[in-house]
Amino acid sequence: MVNGYELNKFKVLIFRVLETKGILPNMPQNAPIFPFTAIVGQEKMKLGLILNVINPSLSGILIRGEKGTAKSTAVRAAADILPQIAVIKDNPFQLSPYDDLETYRELERSLGREPQENFEVQMRKVRVVELPVGATEDRVVGSLDLEKALKTGDKLVEPGLLAAAHRGILYVDEVNLLDDHVVDALLDSAAMGVNVIEREGVSFSHPARFSLVGTMNPEEGELRPQLLDRFGLCVTIEGERDLENRVKVMERRALFEKAPEAFIESYKIQSEELALKITKARDLLPQVTIDRQLLFDIARYCLAVGVDGHRGDILVLKTAKTLAAWRGQTQVDNSDITSAAQLALPHRVRREPLMAVAENLDKLRLGG
Amino acid sequence: MDATDRLFPFAAIIGQDDLKEALILNAVNPLCGGVLARGEKGTAKSTAARSLSELLPPATKYQGCHFNCDPLKTKELCPYCKERSNQVEPLPSPAPFRTLPLNATEDRVAGSLNFEAALKTGLKTFEPGLLASVHRGILYVDEVNLLDDHIVDLILSAAANGENVVEREGISITHPARFILVGTMNPEEGELRPQLLDRFGLSVMVEGVKEPEDRVRLMEEREQFDQDSQVFRAKHAQKTIDLKNLILSAQTILPSVNISKRILKFIATMCAENNAAGHRADLILAEAVRAKAALKGLFEVNEEMVTELAPMVLAHRRREMAPPPPPPPPAEEEEEKKENAQNPENEKEKKEPQESQQEDDQNEDNQAQENEEEALKSNQNEPQSQDGQDSSPSLTPLEEDIENKELGPDKPNQASQEQIFEIGEPFKVKKIENQKDRLKRRGSGRRSRSLAGQKQGRYVKSGKFRDNLDLALDATIRAAAPYQLSREKKSNLAVTLKKADLRGCIREQRVGDLLFFLVDASGSMGARGRMAASKGAILSLLLDAYQKRDKVCLISFRRTEATVNLPLCSSVDLASKLLAQMPVGGRTPLSAGLAAAYREVRNALLKNPLARPIVIVITDGRANVPLYPEKKPNPIKEASQLARAMSLEKRIKFVVVDTEEPGLVNFNLASALSINLEAQYFKTNDLKASTLIDIIKQTNAN
Repeated sequence: MVNGYELNKFKVLIFRVLETKGILPNMPQNAPIFPFTAIVGQEKMKLGLILNVINPSLSGILIRGEKGTAKSTAVRAAADILPQIAVIKDNPFQLSPYDDLETYRELERSLGREPQENFEVQMRKVRVVELPVGATEDRVVGSLDLEKALKTGDKLVEPGLLAAAHRGILYVDEVNLLDDHVVDALLDSAAMGVNVIEREGVSFSHPARFSLVGTMNPEEGELRPQLLDRFGLCVTIEGERDLENRVKVMERRALFEKAPEAFIESYKIQSEELALKITKARDLLPQVTIDRQLLFDIARYCLAVGVDGHRGDILVLKTAKTLAAWRGQTQVDNSDITSAAQLALPHRVRREPLMAVAENLDKLRLGG
Repeated sequence: MDATDRLFPFAAIIGQDDLKEALILNAVNPLCGGVLARGEKGTAKSTAARSLSELLPPATKYQGCHFNCDPLKTKELCPYCKERSNQVEPLPSPAPFRTLPLNATEDRVAGSLNFEAALKTGLKTFEPGLLASVHRGILYVDEVNLLDDHIVDLILSAAANGENVVEREGISITHPARFILVGTMNPEEGELRPQLLDRFGLSVMVEGVKEPEDRVRLMEEREQFDQDSQVFRAKHAQKTIDLKNLILSAQTILPSVNISKRILKFIATMCAENNAAGHRADLILAEAVRAKAALKGLFEVNEEMVTELAPMVLAHRRREMAPPPPPPPPAEEEEEKKENAQNPENEKEKKEPQESQQEDDQNEDNQAQENEEEALKSNQNEPQSQDGQDSSPSLTPLEEDIENKELGPDKPNQASQEQIFEIGEPFKVKKIENQKDRLKRRGSGRRSRSLAGQKQGRYVKSGKFRDNLDLALDATIRAAAPYQLSREKKSNLAVTLKKADLRGCIREQRVGDLLFFLVDASGSMGARGRMAASKGAILSLLLDAYQKRDKVCLISFRRTEATVNLPLCSSVDLASKLLAQMPVGGRTPLSAGLAAAYREVRNALLKNPLARPIVIVITDGRANVPLYPEKKPNPIKEASQLARAMSLEKRIKFVVVDTEEPGLVNFNLASALSINLEAQYFKTNDLKASTLIDIIKQTNAN
């Protein structure tokens, strides 16, 4: 028989396992967020993020740049300007009450609950789910529900981060430092829009369509080409060179540190204006059309710079349409395509694994 | 909206005719043995493979059977089906199509004890895994080249026997598992194991469409699909049905398609001419051709079909294209794992047999080389030559000879000039990796396989619980489940656990190694395009390092000192950039270079004592600048002394790449250096994987 001491030790052990598996609730995060509109400069990065908010099917953005260039700040702040979506209440998979009904019924059962016919629908903001670099695979893809298994002996599913990120944004800071096997898991589900789990005795799958937003410092090593391709857009940013702007950065930061609430309040109107403009662009997007001749321009552009596969073409088209909507137009024009290519192609230009990410597309285009 | 509504219709895929044909052939005739789609990213590889699922003709089975038993094969029926076989009629049901995610664990692939049932009823029941559910269907693996070796082994053994044998957790069961393997891969991420490669019946190279017209159509279609997938699918519904019917009718014709002896001979000649390994190529080609004839509605196959399909069958089987690497030792690994599960504490105990095994290996090697290399016999610690015949002359000169040799200084014009050489042609390098041992390592990468000590790495299977809190919960419950009814309930938990039930995760990951490149940038390297060739060699090693996620450090030595061009970091890109800019010229301070390398390696080892650094010295060995000029030593002697001292640190593995070209006068200094370092020795040309079979063995015991 186990004596008291051992039993206690055992309890502690189970508790710690629970903790490391991330089952205990995390502390709520209500730290004030630096407002998106207060970020100085970095227009390309901001545009890339906004385009992704307008059109989630752009499937994310990779922000490359040196340390301390407001990369992470901008992504966290983007949460501010995100729209609202309707979700089925109390469903950890962020399912849509319109599109995912079949899936809802299946998934509820795997959680050990009876699907309800009259479920509640909830409106809430699109979420930014952060994937920490040290995350373990079971937390990312999901695993066996430990608590239920111990308490009731039922074999149920504990959804992971990919479930939480469905219809939202999955944000990876320092994405180039991510463990290889976690990257594999990301690739798997990013490709299919479905996360398949065949591990720890549970077998099930759930939709996982998310925008992948990553930041990285190229000095720390490059990304695998396969993962690189999963990012819709890619921007390279640098610190501000303009003296005046640098001063502005310092001033704003100091103000924010001193009185965050007041600072956020002072940018409220700007934030609301931006949110409104984004909403308008979202509404306009389905009406945007493109001349067939311009599609040929896109195809020729991609062929000229040498892009692997067809994802480049498709993304330039989507980005151009989104750009037109952002300008408030319903017709894509030439300049949209040029700027879309600058955003969607630099990381797709065919390259040997050791070649740098293309920085000057025009040169390539003319040279090729 | 369910899952199939999100499938891009197969019929709407533009271009990629080879891939589509290969997939359809498999749908018609499962004996075609699966498809491997290789190619660049974003070329509808996965889209095509996944949309195949809705084209498969239905299979009949008894409703509720978890093993997909074929009702016609009465001998193979599971107990459930046997019971039913006399009472009910089997019904057609959709053919199984399952995705194998990269992070699957062994218990789900092979199947395991159903703990839910065991907890509630106390009965041991088997819960079928993926291999059971894809019987008579398709197992689809995206990025198949990234699949873990453990899982690959399971699939290989099931595919080879046509059945899955489960012996675990007190369960002993065998069930049929005949499935079509469909995989996609991007060769940029590394190659497949040859054995797995051979399991794919057909392989197709996929490329992007080059015609602007097609690309535009493709964009339009995709845009429509993204806007409303259901409408888009409805638009192509008729084509999908036509295709389905075509496959179905081809399947009915198939049994009566005839292959004449003449065609069989033709197939055999074709396979033999292309040096296809084994007979699988012949068999698969014959089946594929039959399927093709059936698709055309013909009952007879002709030569044209054979020539058309031959590339798909032979491309990945041609011997000269892929040199046979060493046979992977799955059996041994299994043993190791089992051993590990039983007594993991006794690390030391187990290290011993391993070491003695290594010694045995060494002895064998020595014996093999005895007749060639008398010189080697004198010294037990001599490294083995890496290359049986080629290197035997290079090992003959003993150290004394070298020291006695007079070496002229570098030609003055070379010494004074500084040049930057282009990078020579890169090539595929041979495998350089450390042997797997039982030490736990941290880190991530793809080079050497290592058991993972941290809770990182892929959870592949479970073993005895250790004190690292890495509890394999599913395995623990499975272990405890059968005893629950007899155990006294002490709490409100459903499971009463005892210490003996605890199981830990066995995780595996590939650990990127630390690679230190020590590059000779002296004037002598500038001669006769040596530096260009060496840079090519280094770049090839770097490309390899990139695929394996190594950390690299670049050190060069010239004139009088060594420079650390790039401290240890994971940016292989930066290393290659610096390599391109590396100037050449001046004398050869080999000792200084060695010392600098040693310093860097030591620092790395202090940070991570379990790391396995590999130092790659690229030089011709013609040292002519001593490290301590005041003592006026012979630079070569000094370097060799230093090398011997460094070789005492057994954690470091050395590789010497000799850049000296065979000529009238060979000094063989680099090979002497390699002996002192107890290093693996290569000529620049030997590094190429394509010129030699993989002959790298572990030279220094860990």
